Amino acid sequence: MPLSELLATYGGMYVTALLTTWSLTAVSFLGVMVLGLLVTVLRVCPVKPLRVVGDLYVQIFRNIPGISLLVFVVYALPNLNVVWDYRTCVIVTVVLVGSAFGSENLMSGINTIGVGQIEAARSLGLTFTQILRQIVVPQAVRSAILPMTNLLIAVMLTTALASQTPMKPPELTGLVSYINTRTVGGITPFVASALAYAGTAFVIGFVGNRIDKKVRIIR
Amino acid sequence: MTDTAQTPVIQLKDVNKHYGPLHVLKDINLTVDKGEVLVIIGPSGSGKSTLCRTINRLETIDSGQILIEGRPLPQEGKALAEVRAEIGMVFQSFNLFAHRTILDNVTMGPVEVLKTPKQQAQDEALVLLDRVGVKEQAAKVPAQLSGGQQQRVAIARSLAMHPKAMLFDEPTSALDPEMINEVLDVMVGLARDGMTMVVVTHEMGFARRVADRVVFMADGAIIEEGAPEEFFTHPKTKRAQEFLDSIKGH
Repeated sequence: MPLSELLATYGGMYVTALLTTWSLTAVSFLGVMVLGLLVTVLRVCPVKPLRVVGDLYVQIFRNIPGISLLVFVVYALPNLNVVWDYRTCVIVTVVLVGSAFGSENLMSGINTIGVGQIEAARSLGLTFTQILRQIVVPQAVRSAILPMTNLLIAVMLTTALASQTPMKPPELTGLVSYINTRTVGGITPFVASALAYAGTAFVIGFVGNRIDKKVRIIR
Repeated sequence: MTDTAQTPVIQLKDVNKHYGPLHVLKDINLTVDKGEVLVIIGPSGSGKSTLCRTINRLETIDSGQILIEGRPLPQEGKALAEVRAEIGMVFQSFNLFAHRTILDNVTMGPVEVLKTPKQQAQDEALVLLDRVGVKEQAAKVPAQLSGGQQQRVAIARSLAMHPKAMLFDEPTSALDPEMINEVLDVMVGLARDGMTMVVVTHEMGFARRVADRVVFMADGAIIEEGAPEEFFTHPKTKRAQEFLDSIKGH
């Protein structure tokens, strides 16, 4: 199918699909950051059992294929009387997996800080919470900008999981399946989606680099 | 000699600490009176840094007691943070907050811990930065300063808390030789102004000039203590004699 014909027929749906991918990505990434930060706080807190919980969380969700987790959320959770719409299922899946990776990014950011600054803060009389807020989190976040940029792109690509559910309206990958079950679209529908993914990723990467240059901590 | 009647600012009683099988602090007994400058010297691995760090509980102890103005050092939590706020600490590696300006480094403690209004904290910080000679650098970040400048900022950061005593853990050991004096000069000034100080150092000239008392440590124990002139010219123990001989060439 030539590109012009594809766009004439499905152009509007592509726009909707792209917007759906964007909104899934934005909501998921917000969740990834919040949950990733919480898990990271658990992993560095002074209470050992909480640290173990945080580490366990990362080990579990970093090592489960997203698609398996999605199947679990969609088909197994209803048995526990947890029933969500497909969009929520996809977001929860992406957030669970993404936050494990996000926490790893923050941990490597924290590891660049060094115990010396923490000791200096403690000897000034700052409490654990103050040290987190004033010293640890700002530095960890600022040195995690580039890995977080990569994670944002990965989160966007992972939202393609939604194509495995009957979510309406479909996102970019779901739309390709939809088109190819209705017509013999050939490779063109894939190319159109791929360009949309790549274009978005390019913008994310560009902006991420700019932010990193601006906030990078000179050491 | 009126000071001796008062409660010591810092007091250690029978303090012991182990790192696994290694006995790093052995029955340490030590008092530091108000306004006193105590210098701790000794070979590396003698436990002098560890001793210094136990005083604000950056290192825990296994047994014994540490008293700050007669009160036992709290083990954790807010009570410990409050005591730490009253004791300044200067580290070998400066440990300035890398993401904050020099000015912010100095105002952090007063604003966060003492709840000083920000403007007042900044005014006070600038006075302190001026006193240690780095006021012009206030808007820069730590990495833009030389080691000597960073260490002077670290001293100002501690002073901003109006500490009752200050701990110096080898404050000049990480500095290039030409920067050592600019830091020592600030410390001499503090001592002259009556600050209570515990200084772990290899700078024997500083010890001789400024210390009220010198403590010599080896293998985790206090081997000898006394007035600096007496200690450096007539050490009582063989161990101290050997140590002084070994550094004489420098």
